[in-house]
Amino acid sequence: MSFKDILNSGKFAVTAEIGPPKGTDIKEMLHHMEILRGKIDAANITDNQSAVMRISSIAVCKLALEYGLEPILQMTCRDRNRIGLQADLLGAYVLGIKNVLCMTGDHVSAGDHKQAKPVYDVESVQLLKIVDGMNNGKDMAGNDLKGATDYFQGAVVTPESNPIEPQLMKFEKKVKAGAKFFQTQAIYDIEKFKTFMAHARQFNVKIMAGIVVLKSAGMANFMNNFVPGIKVPQNLIDELKAAGKEKALDTGLNIAARHIKQLKDEKICDGVHIMAIGMEDKVPAIMERAGLL
Amino acid sequence: MIATKKREFKDLMENIKDYKSFFLVGCSECASLCGTGGEPELAELKETLEKEGKTVTGTFRAKTGCQVLGTKVELKPFKEHLDKTDVVIVMSCGAGTQAAVEIFPDKPVYQSNDTLFLANMTRYQIFDERCSLCGECILDETGGICPVTACPKGLLNGPCGGTNDGNCEVSPDIKCCWVRIYERLNKINRLDDMKKTREAKDWSKSQKPRALIARTKEEKKK
Repeated sequence: MSFKDILNSGKFAVTAEIGPPKGTDIKEMLHHMEILRGKIDAANITDNQSAVMRISSIAVCKLALEYGLEPILQMTCRDRNRIGLQADLLGAYVLGIKNVLCMTGDHVSAGDHKQAKPVYDVESVQLLKIVDGMNNGKDMAGNDLKGATDYFQGAVVTPESNPIEPQLMKFEKKVKAGAKFFQTQAIYDIEKFKTFMAHARQFNVKIMAGIVVLKSAGMANFMNNFVPGIKVPQNLIDELKAAGKEKALDTGLNIAARHIKQLKDEKICDGVHIMAIGMEDKVPAIMERAGLL
Repeated sequence: MIATKKREFKDLMENIKDYKSFFLVGCSECASLCGTGGEPELAELKETLEKEGKTVTGTFRAKTGCQVLGTKVELKPFKEHLDKTDVVIVMSCGAGTQAAVEIFPDKPVYQSNDTLFLANMTRYQIFDERCSLCGECILDETGGICPVTACPKGLLNGPCGGTNDGNCEVSPDIKCCWVRIYERLNKINRLDDMKKTREAKDWSKSQKPRALIARTKEEKKK
């Protein structure tokens, strides 16, 4: 079953993230693809994540297809104008890529080419509209396409954003612009997430909760201080601290698994998106502990 | 106004090292307010150049250095000083420099400043950028705060995921303009303005180089 069919069938979907490497040595990445193949429903292929230049998302999506892993093409508006974005959307589609995640993209100042010109000719909401138009046979300028796309398009949302109201307004704009599924920024407070879901459930879209594995109390504190829209509650930090250095990662995997299990058992959302950030090989262990394998 | 910043003197010196005599042109408008092209700065550069063994044939502060014809007329009494100089140094913005290039077709023109942005002066000599001169104003829909300028990504439909407790992901010194817009629209009971989806910007409106004829045909005849 395709990722789209799985989500639409009501089955709890699981996606994970593959970050293309910087350079042509792709052995480790292919190894991660092999580990994830057959276990997850689709793999997000990041697009120069954190504005750090790497192998292009489209190229790695094509590799994922060849390796039997259904890709979700992450597409940011940072590096291409509307002509480039549309050309790549057509190009990706004819290569067999069926899912696209539309995002604005981290600013170049976060990355490793700080002197680059940030593009942002369009942004996430407008990119979603572009995809919707192309699915209906038109480009952004209203010209007819010789053959339309049939993308399953998604977007991102940050449920822990503060203040939340502007974020929710943008979320609604993305729904109206045609987003069919959402993958959220990492969430750690399930009760708070339920409040977001109560709002999101008004709309006919699928929501996948973002899961970022905590490796240590230090990492949790770092994210609280430096990563926008992420709030790790103190009780989880205490739990990681109590586990001690050697057991911290294992505890982090348990926390992720516990959250996933609760999200699924209580039918809080439609799936999870696991961002392992360099620990893709641990994704099967998390899924196993969550009772998904 | 146009914000300008003085270049490092050694960089200016490197550019003008082949020449001996200089005529300095400041400006009474923005460059005076920025402290880059007013009377004190004209006097300072004159003194520094003379210390380096150069000759300054004259100094002049234009009323509005970007007005080509007006500045040309104002410069008439300085003909003698100008005849004696190798080079004109302009101490205003890039527009002032290029006005001088038009006025002095036969002389090299150098500039002592870098031109930064269209500026609001919030306090004495403290400037910030609020307008990008994009040619398609949306201030009426955004509570009078321009996201094209105040958001590093120029987002038109609300904050990105990088908004951080009211601050911008690019720097904690920047307030997220979409949070500011939200707060202001909330205060003036116009939150519905924020719910409208804005189409992608028409960048053809700011295709360079831009030109404008603001006077009517009738005025032209007069």
